[in-house]
Amino acid sequence: MVDVSRVQKELTECNRDREVSGVSITLHDGANISHLTGTIAGPADSPYEGGTFTIDIRLPGGYPFEPPKMQFVTKVWHPNISSQNGAICLDILKDQWSPALTLKTALLSLQALLSSPAPDDPQDAVVAQQYLRDYPTFAATARYWTEAFAKSASTGMEEKVQKLVEMGFPEDLVRSTLKSVDGDENLALEKLCSG
Amino acid sequence: MGHSDAASPASAAAARDAKKKRGNRTAAKLKQSKLETRREQWLSGQGKDGKETKVAASPTGAGSNAGSPILASPHPPLPRRRADTRSRGSDPEDREEAAAATLEVGGSDLDSPMHSPGSDKSQGGGCAQRKGFSGNGGGPSLSSGSSVWSSSRSVSDAEEDHTGCPEDESEVLDDWEAAADALYDDDSHCHQSSVPTTPPPAPTNAAPANAARPEPIRSKARAWAPDDIFRPQSLPSISKQASFPASIGNCWAGMGMSAAQQGILSLPLSCPICYEDLDPTDSSFLPCPCGFHLCLFCHNRILEADGRCPGCRKQYNTVPAAEGGGGPRATMIGREMANIAPVRLSRSCSMGPRY
Repeated sequence: MVDVSRVQKELTECNRDREVSGVSITLHDGANISHLTGTIAGPADSPYEGGTFTIDIRLPGGYPFEPPKMQFVTKVWHPNISSQNGAICLDILKDQWSPALTLKTALLSLQALLSSPAPDDPQDAVVAQQYLRDYPTFAATARYWTEAFAKSASTGMEEKVQKLVEMGFPEDLVRSTLKSVDGDENLALEKLCSG
Repeated sequence: MGHSDAASPASAAAARDAKKKRGNRTAAKLKQSKLETRREQWLSGQGKDGKETKVAASPTGAGSNAGSPILASPHPPLPRRRADTRSRGSDPEDREEAAAATLEVGGSDLDSPMHSPGSDKSQGGGCAQRKGFSGNGGGPSLSSGSSVWSSSRSVSDAEEDHTGCPEDESEVLDDWEAAADALYDDDSHCHQSSVPTTPPPAPTNAAPANAARPEPIRSKARAWAPDDIFRPQSLPSISKQASFPASIGNCWAGMGMSAAQQGILSLPLSCPICYEDLDPTDSSFLPCPCGFHLCLFCHNRILEADGRCPGCRKQYNTVPAAEGGGGPRATMIGREMANIAPVRLSRSCSMGPRY
């Protein structure tokens, strides 16, 4: 169904300059080429700077004649991205899709969307209202969310370990517990307390 | 100057044609009666340069000649003869004409005794200019400089040497020629209003000294470097003139380059949709005026869906409608209105002849 050769060429081409573009695509699982994972770097001079955002990409059977289905896995505080499920409101992923676009250009468009939100056409009404009425609060929240959810796991892990160790748990237990709950601090704390 | 250069050759050529006809007619008339004069005229043409300059420097012989007032005007025969020689050297027909025209002058010299150097000058200037153009058009020699003159001149000299003119006559003939030149000039001036007369042999007496001399220089003005010391001061701001066409040329070159590059870029080796290689048919297939290339398979696939060009997102089937002059509505009416599918089908079928 999916144009496999095109998708493979797209992956090769996109990952060739991932350091420059800040955009990369990998197969979500090794077998299914219609389920991909994209990552974009948070654009500079935005509340998302320094974050790495993961996007779940599902290619419909009609790709590239139909737009890919994209959704933020990483939680983002953005007027055009649902803070609940990461759904994206972007025209090129809907009616303005063109077969001439690629996964890479779509991810780059998402990157551009992060740096220039369109609150007049919101996906998340709460965020959009905050963006329009109280931009400093919006920026602070977005920065916090970036810090909390979009920073790379390794650096975040050390902070979490540090935090839990300060609470009085042994470091090796904290590390193993954090690893078992996939880095979720609250779950790890619950587990440590319960166990 | 560039404008006049570009504009005049056509008119000059036309004038030359008309002049040729007329010149041939007059030549036929006058050849018989004035053969002797013509010979003398030609013989005077063989005079050495030194002699010519001598004549030019000393128009005293004028008094001894026809007594015409023109001779008092400082008109060195040298440029006139050079012009003649040029036309002789370049084109035998022109040579014949030149001789005939000169004869005509000889015949009609008494018609115009009231010949003023002023009018002479202006007239001669115009003639010289036109002569230059016709020379450019007709013969290879004129614009190529004095070396060609001298070669053609030596040819004509050689031709005329065996006519056996006595040396002592030549000086008098020079004066006679000067008078004839002046009178001919006036004569051609009279004729010019009605018929464009004989531009190539026309350059005469005093004016060519001013006009015909710089003429060859002017004809090769494009070869001048901006710092060339021989460049006439009258040429305006050659740096600008030179840089302007150069910049235009660069611009054109740049456009050409960019066009070529665009041509290369807009003709991708593979279809941008399916990434398959484009075959020649696909490469020549341009379904949208935006120039977006794609293979026929992908195009067909798009027509089955929303039918919009991937490059510009416009509907494919409104494109020929817009070209045909009617709006999208008109074509919808013009084509089968029943439903969209047949239209798309016919559209995809219409690609058949492109193969």
